[in-house]
Amino acid sequence: MKKLFSLALMLAATAAAPAHASLKVFACEPEWASLLQELAGDKIAVDVGTSALQDVHQIEAKPSLIAKVRRADLVVCTGADLEVGWLPQLLRQAANPKVMSGTGNFMAANAITTLEKPTKLDRAAGDVHPQGNPHFQMDPYRMLAIAKALSARLAQLDAANTAVYQQRLGDFSTRWSSAIKRWEVKAAPLRGSKIIVQHASWIYLEHWLGLERIGALEPKPGVPPTSGHLASLIGVAKSGKTLAIVRAAYQDPKSSQWLSERTGVPAVVLPLTVGGDAQSKDLFGLFDSTIDKLLSAAK
Amino acid sequence: MSLELNWDGLDISILGPACLAGLIVLSTHVPLGKQVLSRGIIFIDLAIAQIAALGVIIAHYFGVDEQSFGVQIAAAAAALAGAGLLAWTDKRWPEYQEPLIGTLFVLAATGALLLLANNPQGGEHLKDLLVGQILWVSYSQLIPAAILSVFLLAFMWLRQGRLTGLLFYALFALAITVSVQLVGVYLVFASLIVPALATAGMTGKGRLSAAYAIGALGYASGLVLSAVLDLPSGALIVWTLAACALLAQLVPAVRRSHPAQS
Repeated sequence: MKKLFSLALMLAATAAAPAHASLKVFACEPEWASLLQELAGDKIAVDVGTSALQDVHQIEAKPSLIAKVRRADLVVCTGADLEVGWLPQLLRQAANPKVMSGTGNFMAANAITTLEKPTKLDRAAGDVHPQGNPHFQMDPYRMLAIAKALSARLAQLDAANTAVYQQRLGDFSTRWSSAIKRWEVKAAPLRGSKIIVQHASWIYLEHWLGLERIGALEPKPGVPPTSGHLASLIGVAKSGKTLAIVRAAYQDPKSSQWLSERTGVPAVVLPLTVGGDAQSKDLFGLFDSTIDKLLSAAK
Repeated sequence: MSLELNWDGLDISILGPACLAGLIVLSTHVPLGKQVLSRGIIFIDLAIAQIAALGVIIAHYFGVDEQSFGVQIAAAAAALAGAGLLAWTDKRWPEYQEPLIGTLFVLAATGALLLLANNPQGGEHLKDLLVGQILWVSYSQLIPAAILSVFLLAFMWLRQGRLTGLLFYALFALAITVSVQLVGVYLVFASLIVPALATAGMTGKGRLSAAYAIGALGYASGLVLSAVLDLPSGALIVWTLAACALLAQLVPAVRRSHPAQS
């Protein structure tokens, strides 16, 4: 409850509109709201569409969401079909030509290359995204590339503040790059660790930190586990030294706890985005918390 | 949950299409609900909606394009087939109709799960069919629904409300297939049952008008409240429908005629 309250406070703080903000921005997910905060400070007013305790693949329609998109100058979302279940309808209902496409429509996926882009589309492979895995907020290098593209977009929309955006981007890049070095040193002992994941949300983190995914609770993305699959996972988890069974803060704990109880491998909850736990108050906290939690599972 | 009031969403261009969708659904569901209630087959809408969803998943199996009109045909065909089956069981075993409906519902729901075990993307269509979100409705989407509703209403009017087994089930199947995709299963259930239940003791034309008024007030107040309180619209409308039904009991003409009061 306390956690929820502080989360609500934090969201309220990010959503509070500074009086002299020159751009109104709608961010689909909290990580982009946090990045926008770093890049623009009080030059913009940010509304966030979802929270870390929500499955962003699907959200409930509320009138306020449509109102927020309607008044926005810029919409910042993940893209790569992550929000395909609701963003197209939301944009259509808001009928705001500024953000339907073009400069007012920023999809982070377009600033980077995604992993797991299927070479051919096959329904049998599961709930796969044809544009690749969209959970790339957990790669700090891609985050930096997105920051650069987003900063340029802000300057394009609000030329009067270009100098501010450039200065803030420079400042963020410096702090972020030194944080990456710090995280990489700290997470070095995790290299080669084996993890079992709930949903394929961690591929970028795995690549960055050199974690090895030896299994997933969902046999295919978006498909609930069958009993045969769970039985084989017990064998997989016990076969080697498995570090953790990883799930995101919003996911139901049942299946990962079930596997943890039967194998003794700890179930670890990672924030996945800003606001996913008490420590993840911004992007820096998000990565600090993620690495701390994985390290404490290793002890 | 913070109880901060939010006036931004209170915009006719945001709430208008949703409100109209609600009125279109109510137009057919209020008279049909009366029949559902008197036949004592309360959960038939859930069963028919599930069967329609099953039809879509099966159509997927045979490669019907997900955006095409074929999906609607598949949904309607499955719903009509299910309705035919229920009309037959109604004639054959009338005393077991309600448990048969329940059984058909769980069979259709779990059948979808079994089929989807190998086709996760069908899951999105299943969800679209069952939890249609009233706020995402657009005016252009409402045109076919409105035309079909006019036809169904005209038909019911011509028959003077006397709908025999197969006719009733067929009309019902078509109405449900459309309305579920617009507003979702919870609202369809509430639109059918709540106004009919609230006016159960009334007779004649007054009953229909009272039921329509309760339904319309429920939708309108639910949409306004969901904007002001910043809550999901569909779920809140279910509650305002129930609240309006309860409030209506304060009106003597509605309450007095209840059997419990006489």
